[in-house]
Amino acid sequence: MNIKSGYFKRHLHVDLTKGTAERRALSDAFIEKYIGGRGFGAKLVWDNMKKHDFKVDPLGLESLLVIAPGPLTGAYLPSSGKISFVAISPATGLYGDSSMGGGFGVELRQTGNDILSITGRAPKLSVLFIDNSETTILPMPELEGKSCLEAEGIIKERLGTYAVHVATIGVAGENMVNFACVNADWGRNAGRTGIGAIMGSKKLKAIVVRGHNDLPTYDVNGLMAEADKAYKYMEEHKYFKMWQREGLMNVIEYANEKGILPAYNFKDSVFAKHNQINGAAMLDNFKIGNSACFSCSMCCGNICLVKNGKYTGTIIDGPEYESCAMLGPNLGIDNFAAILAAVRLCDELGVDTISTGNIIGAVIEGYEKGILSLSDLDGREITWGDEEAILELIQKIAYRQGIGDVLADGSRRIIKKWPEMDKIILQVKGLEQSAYDSRAGISMGLAYATSDIGAHHTRAWTIAKEIEEGQNWSDEDKVNTVIYHQTLRPLFDMLGVCRLPWVELGLNERHYQYFYKYVTGKEASLEELLELSNDIYDLTRLINTRLGMSRKDDSLPYKVWANPPLTGPNVGKVIDKKDFQKLVSLYYQKRGWDEDGMPPVGLERKFED
Amino acid sequence: MSKIIVVIPEQCSGCRICELVCAIKHFGVNNPKKSAIRVLTTYPHPVMRMPIVCSQCKVLTCAQVCPVGALRRSNGVVQLDKETCISCYKCVGACPFGAIYVHEDCDQPIICDMCGGDPECVKKCPTGALRLIPESTLGEFKRLNNVLSYAQMKEIEFYEKGERKVIHYAEVGKEEL
Repeated sequence: MNIKSGYFKRHLHVDLTKGTAERRALSDAFIEKYIGGRGFGAKLVWDNMKKHDFKVDPLGLESLLVIAPGPLTGAYLPSSGKISFVAISPATGLYGDSSMGGGFGVELRQTGNDILSITGRAPKLSVLFIDNSETTILPMPELEGKSCLEAEGIIKERLGTYAVHVATIGVAGENMVNFACVNADWGRNAGRTGIGAIMGSKKLKAIVVRGHNDLPTYDVNGLMAEADKAYKYMEEHKYFKMWQREGLMNVIEYANEKGILPAYNFKDSVFAKHNQINGAAMLDNFKIGNSACFSCSMCCGNICLVKNGKYTGTIIDGPEYESCAMLGPNLGIDNFAAILAAVRLCDELGVDTISTGNIIGAVIEGYEKGILSLSDLDGREITWGDEEAILELIQKIAYRQGIGDVLADGSRRIIKKWPEMDKIILQVKGLEQSAYDSRAGISMGLAYATSDIGAHHTRAWTIAKEIEEGQNWSDEDKVNTVIYHQTLRPLFDMLGVCRLPWVELGLNERHYQYFYKYVTGKEASLEELLELSNDIYDLTRLINTRLGMSRKDDSLPYKVWANPPLTGPNVGKVIDKKDFQKLVSLYYQKRGWDEDGMPPVGLERKFED
Repeated sequence: MSKIIVVIPEQCSGCRICELVCAIKHFGVNNPKKSAIRVLTTYPHPVMRMPIVCSQCKVLTCAQVCPVGALRRSNGVVQLDKETCISCYKCVGACPFGAIYVHEDCDQPIICDMCGGDPECVKKCPTGALRLIPESTLGEFKRLNNVLSYAQMKEIEFYEKGERKVIHYAEVGKEEL
């Protein structure tokens, strides 16, 4: 046995229907093979699907929600506060996961559990309270309709302590909006793939954790020496101070310059008034504080306050690039205060800012093009930059009122109801696209198309590399880079750490093999870890193909083929379908999947134990 | 020793690296709960991230309530005598800042010992929210800021070797005292 430490080897399984909590032991082989986080999640979800013959309603009784930190979560090393939420997504009907920073994951680990899994449905709206070794399910129907932030306050008051971490859902989660998110620490979200809706379907308003256990570590001093090297490298990086100051908001300027910023529902890829909504604008008038996830020196989170005008008093932990781009330029809003108000509203209601911005953008364009009539919009006109109408629509989605009831089910239902919206809305597999325009780089298109959860940028973010490399970048390199990203980035999710030190400050990924060694006591090279991560990618593919997905689903939104950006450096650019299909074939080949995107027969045996 | 740990909450990002390094240094474990410094976060009214650590008060409220005299100042730092301490935790409630901590695995209260004069938390704080300064310089920055804000009453623009520069000055005699 190579793993000597790093795990509690305990799995807490909660059945809300029966009201029971059971502690199961984790085998050494299991933790060695699946590492943690998304790896644990994928395996347990796979087992659950097999048990129910792949007929599980994501919002039904049998669906399983897995919440798992990784072995490095909470350890002394850069940005170790990550935790993964894994389930079958109600938005895509396929494998879905979302990760969250902050301190919730660390606290959950300190309760002495490596995995928390939840199934069933509580009879009344409830709160799950894990206080070290004690687990209780507290019915709290009075929390119904409360916002994420408000609920967190009420729960802390009821329990009589502030020293707990609370992950809540908002009204959107209760109403099972397909892109509802889970919110913790007043503004850290597991946003994508509708994890909030799953909690809503289980009538679970919040998960409260409090733990005090030592996090098992094989060699603390070795870890500290290695981590200090990493921290030092980051601190000396020329962009370190800029990250502390602006955080992810600095990407707005970059994206605008390179023509990958979504504007007017991806009609354009630059925004004329980017000066009013970029990092500098935030620093000038809005930022009042720094916010960091656990053990992170970069503190890319901002705290912003609107000091004058109609949104005075709006305070948020954020925004970051995705939220700001999707609810700002993508909807034609050039007023930073209004963007903050929209992000705050999303935080309160508990909806994903990326999907919300994307869907509202599509609604505005659909109305502009005459696909949606005024009566479809319940008689309320909506145009680009119309702040009030947009804020109203976000409310309607969360409360499922009028058109909001359709929009709340996500892009697949929208396309079903208005087939022409297929040409307007940007989604892959039913998940709305993130805020990086793939028309600027075909490799980003490949990344969106082959991401296991849908059009999301976490799996591979190759756009910057492609812009840098330009024309000379061969197909082979593109595919290799996408696969490398899809292997390394999920590895961060499995280990329970954030990828930003590597992505943004170029922290050498080799550090992580040592971190892993010092925490678990197992000597493994980065390549060996990447192989394990690659297995998980195969596993999620397996889940998806067993659920009916094939090559036809690894596609891109209509706009990417047909509507080039109107201005900016990528004016006139679209992705050529033939080129793209060639790339997909090459991708399958390199992955060892067949022409139809199916993983090899017999792969299932690998994940049996 | 006259140096003390000063907290500048405006600079704190709430990353809790200070908690981790404190626990590693004193207990050799990865456990942010076993530390003598803890970050308290409040939101949204007010938004505050405040590391709470022993202020090395001159009048030791903690020592005054200690029934066995286990808390004493030596070399300018409050020290807990582990031999004498009876773990009654009276000091925890008595500290006006709540800067003495209790952990279930530890038999005795956890209080900052300044790491013998070179606090780990200050060294590792990435945002400069924790600083080690001589006591006598307390208030220095406040005073400087105050002077600077006064000096911004007037400004004059001028060019030096073609470069635009601005000088701030206060007009003497105009202020009615």
